[in-house]
Amino acid sequence: MIEITSTPIVLIIVLGIAGVILPIISITRKNVSSKLYGAISLAVLISSILFVIYQLTSSAILSSFSEDVLTVDLLGDLFAISMLLVAIMTTVGSFDFIRKKSYSSIYFSLILLSTIGMVLVAYSTDLVMLFVAWELMSIPTYILAGFLKKNPSSNEAALKYFLFGALSSAIIIYGISITYGITGSTNISEVIRVFSTIDAEMLPLALLAVSMFIAGFGFKMGLVPFHMWLPDTYEGSPPTITALLAAGTKKAGFAAAIRIIIIGTIALNFDWTLALGIIAIMTMTIGNIAAIMQKNLTRMLAYSSIGHAGYILIGLATYPLSNIGLQGSLFHIINHAVMKCAAFIAVTGIIITIKTTYIDKIKGLGVRMPITALGLTISLLALAGVPPLNGFWSKLMLFGAALDAGSTYSWIYWLAIAGVLNSALSLAYYGWVIRKMYFEGDRTISIKEPKSIISVMIFSILFIVGVGVYPDLIIQFTEKIIFQLTMALN
Amino acid sequence: MEQNFNELIAWLIWILPFVAAIIIPAIGKRYNNLVGYVASAIALFSAITAASILPNAIESHGIHNQVLWISTIDLKAGVLADPLSIIMSNIVAWISFLITVYSIGYMKHDKDQVRFWFWMMFFIGSMQLIVLSDNLLQMFFGWEGVGLASYALISFWYRDKKQHHVGTENHSVLGLVEYYSPTHAGMKAFIMTKVGDIMMLAGMFLIFSFAGTFGFRELIDDTTWATNMATDGLLIPAIVLLFGGAIGKSAQFPLNEWLLEAMTGPTAVSALIHAATMVKAGVFLVARLGPILFSLSMAGILVDQFFEIVALTGAITALLLATQGMVNMELKKVLAYSTGSQIGYMMMALGMAGLSDQFVDGYTAGFFHLMSHAMFKASLFMAAGSLIHVVGSRFMTDMGGLRKHVHKTYIFVWASGLALMGAPFITTGFWSKDAIFASIYESGHVLALPIFIIAVLTAIITAFYTTRMIGIIFFGERSQHIMKMEKSGDHIHEVDKLMWLPYGILAILTIGVGIFGLSAENNIHSIFAEYLEHSFGIHSAHLNTEEHNDINLFSGLNALAVAFSLLAFVVGFVLGYIFYIGRYIDPTKFVNSNLLFYSLHKLMLNRWYLNTLIYWCFVISPLLIARRIWRYFEQTVVDLGMNNGFEYAIKWSSSIIHKTQTGVVQSYLYVFGAGLLFVILILLV
Repeated sequence: MIEITSTPIVLIIVLGIAGVILPIISITRKNVSSKLYGAISLAVLISSILFVIYQLTSSAILSSFSEDVLTVDLLGDLFAISMLLVAIMTTVGSFDFIRKKSYSSIYFSLILLSTIGMVLVAYSTDLVMLFVAWELMSIPTYILAGFLKKNPSSNEAALKYFLFGALSSAIIIYGISITYGITGSTNISEVIRVFSTIDAEMLPLALLAVSMFIAGFGFKMGLVPFHMWLPDTYEGSPPTITALLAAGTKKAGFAAAIRIIIIGTIALNFDWTLALGIIAIMTMTIGNIAAIMQKNLTRMLAYSSIGHAGYILIGLATYPLSNIGLQGSLFHIINHAVMKCAAFIAVTGIIITIKTTYIDKIKGLGVRMPITALGLTISLLALAGVPPLNGFWSKLMLFGAALDAGSTYSWIYWLAIAGVLNSALSLAYYGWVIRKMYFEGDRTISIKEPKSIISVMIFSILFIVGVGVYPDLIIQFTEKIIFQLTMALN
Repeated sequence: MEQNFNELIAWLIWILPFVAAIIIPAIGKRYNNLVGYVASAIALFSAITAASILPNAIESHGIHNQVLWISTIDLKAGVLADPLSIIMSNIVAWISFLITVYSIGYMKHDKDQVRFWFWMMFFIGSMQLIVLSDNLLQMFFGWEGVGLASYALISFWYRDKKQHHVGTENHSVLGLVEYYSPTHAGMKAFIMTKVGDIMMLAGMFLIFSFAGTFGFRELIDDTTWATNMATDGLLIPAIVLLFGGAIGKSAQFPLNEWLLEAMTGPTAVSALIHAATMVKAGVFLVARLGPILFSLSMAGILVDQFFEIVALTGAITALLLATQGMVNMELKKVLAYSTGSQIGYMMMALGMAGLSDQFVDGYTAGFFHLMSHAMFKASLFMAAGSLIHVVGSRFMTDMGGLRKHVHKTYIFVWASGLALMGAPFITTGFWSKDAIFASIYESGHVLALPIFIIAVLTAIITAFYTTRMIGIIFFGERSQHIMKMEKSGDHIHEVDKLMWLPYGILAILTIGVGIFGLSAENNIHSIFAEYLEHSFGIHSAHLNTEEHNDINLFSGLNALAVAFSLLAFVVGFVLGYIFYIGRYIDPTKFVNSNLLFYSLHKLMLNRWYLNTLIYWCFVISPLLIARRIWRYFEQTVVDLGMNNGFEYAIKWSSSIIHKTQTGVVQSYLYVFGAGLLFVILILLV
């Protein structure tokens, strides 16, 4: 039985209590500043992340798979840290955005509740637990996506997101039920054990279940062809929530995918690399090509986010053949979480001040809002994988893994080629934004940058450059995770 | 302990000027007028450090210190102050110091002083790095450093004002105007020397791939690399490639043309870089490699071809440039021709040394000529600088009759000019040239006779053009230019002390050392004989008889060589006297008197058409071809086809994807369902 003081339980209690208390405060006391709610949730989130790091360094690490519904392993810790990081950045970034809007207590509370869901997805070792966490993560974000009640595009975003969310939940449930039907268990380790000795007659059913999982989680990850909702939702939602969606819930999809799809399919022991490889190439190519013609910064970043899901998928696709791949995926997940979050928070800053997201309208931003522009520039360059920023290293690992795995199946080389070409292509639209900000425009009236945005920008610049200069710490951490996963499987 | 101290000093010699280069801009920020003095002081300090380890370095056969540089390939950096390099280093250091003193006066009124001093110090540091390196790679860093400094200083007056150009404005040769701006000249020098540098780099790495080391000492300690290279037939190509670097840097044929245009730089720069030191780097490289290669040839590996190439290159250059020096009217350019020609002598001597049994004779002769040339040519250049400064024109025809106005400079130019001519018995130039003649004559090689003839011929021409130069500048009537100056109230007067003192010192030294020339040469001879014996095992026959040779001063002389040097000096000087000092015959009329003289004159004036040929082959034609390629390939295939085509392709595919993004939820759901089916299909099939 999992202990009451273990990381996930403590996080549920702390974040859950805070999430419930915030609306209660707003009911009992009128005229409370939104800053208080923000401060409370920020304090709770920071203490949570410190707690996770403390637990990581001090207490024993359990195996990746346990008989319980939850486990405490390095994989979960990694995702918990990056989710909490994203939640913190989003919360801070929201300070100025939500100030003049009503229901700010509920806004912060929903972020906290969604964060619980994300963290629990990472720690789940049981399919039912995973599904519950998945829904806990998703439902608050449906509300948050439509938080700007009077704004039709926000409503559209929420509706589309909800419809697809409901569909994908149904598909996941269907997958789980098939799995339960075959194995008689919902515990992931049990599922793997049974799957690895499965009868030939039952194999198609097991494959059907895996397909369901790919589609169900692929919706959240924004994989092509399950991506159609994504640009509309990202564009319509409040930009801070887009940051949460792109950097947080999307990564939770990968957490679930690594737990279920990878592990399950290795146990199934057949060549499935092809399926994920095709999806990866489609995802990155379509994401990047669609991004290149966008006039709207948010929508461009949304497509870029699809493209990045493709890069991350390279690691998942090559996992059985090359260990570096999955390491690269994990590394890129953290990097992308921070980079994309920073980019969207920068967009939030732009929306707060000049109320536009059109690329043509941000001319001269480098002079007018120097720190926001610098943060956006650095995160865009990191997204493009320009050395010595952090995105370079994780892409290097991913493409390197594809080359490595290419010695087994030569078509995997195409993954690396597509990845490199897409990275080069992506510089076209990232560079476009940077060019507009720094080399065009004549309006030199400087704009006061919101403090909350500045602080997020500074943190992200430090993180992106710091990890870029010294990537070894995280690489070693991911190495340990892969080692632990492999140990658990054998 | 003392040895450790000396090793440290040896490092300091080249590090100090670099430190000076770094601090000079900082000082210049506050005290613009002080930088010259600071730089001079540091140059003096560096020279003193170089002098302080001179005795020890010669006595101990070389101070050698190494530190690990790049550990993965076991590459070491180091200083090697053996007799060769420490003597060279002292020449560089002391002449640099004198020229920095001269430059204080010369650059006094220039706004960009700081930039000048930065590059001067950078140059001195790089030059000392070349000299003191113990391996080829480290040497190459200095090699490129001096190239960079040379480029920056040739183009120093980058605003390309008319008075800083070289060449005659409307003198065109085969459709090419030989009139160059400082920026053009800088680029020309940089690119032409780079041709040699690339060759050198290739040669270096070729040797490295066999020897696994760049170190000079390591190359001589274990010579299996040479045996292996020789069996593969790569030894000669590799060392000839290395010599390519020397050809470029020392302005030897066929890469000689850059040196003439290098005269656009400040004259102090011409004196230091393009006369006394940098152009000697090539000679130094050959002097570094010579003993190694000669000891290989003693071990039975055939390297004669290399020495033949060196000797022939030197001979061709010496004659080619000397002839052009006879006809040119620009003072600095005459000196530049003379520099290239004299370096040709050094190459000749070093090359013939390798072909003779008495390696040390030619080796000493070449190096002694390097020393004496460094002194008198630096002096001549500085004097030329002050003359140009005084008259305000770079053309000798704008001078004339100056001997009454600039008395001191007149005397000093005579002193160092006589050394260049090789005036007998009292100038260093005579002894060093005589030694070269003797070593060529004694080598007994097939090439000895033709090269000896060329050497004597060149000596005659040298004496002639030097006399001509002095005659045009100091004798005869004052030119119209000077008359005009005096009419407008500008009086011709001597430059100030800070400027004439340095070249005065060098001119006096030239004569002073010249008086003891033979014993000076014998001393260097015995130092090198011992050095070559000890470090390379090159045994010289009369090393043991050296002591009683010193008793009779003239016993080491070769009578034939002395006779020919005397003859050359007399013939050249008398011819020059007739035309330019006595002015008994008008040279213009004489040249136009018959077709042969006329066409020879024209050939020399047009630089043997070599410069034009190089421009047509390597500058103008490639540019024409490149324009065609740009017009018919890049603009059509690359720009229209590839760039635009790629752009359209991306735009088109992007618009296709945009069309699928309808915004209608039903169609989204349809795609989702289709996608699910697609995944299932892939997995099941």
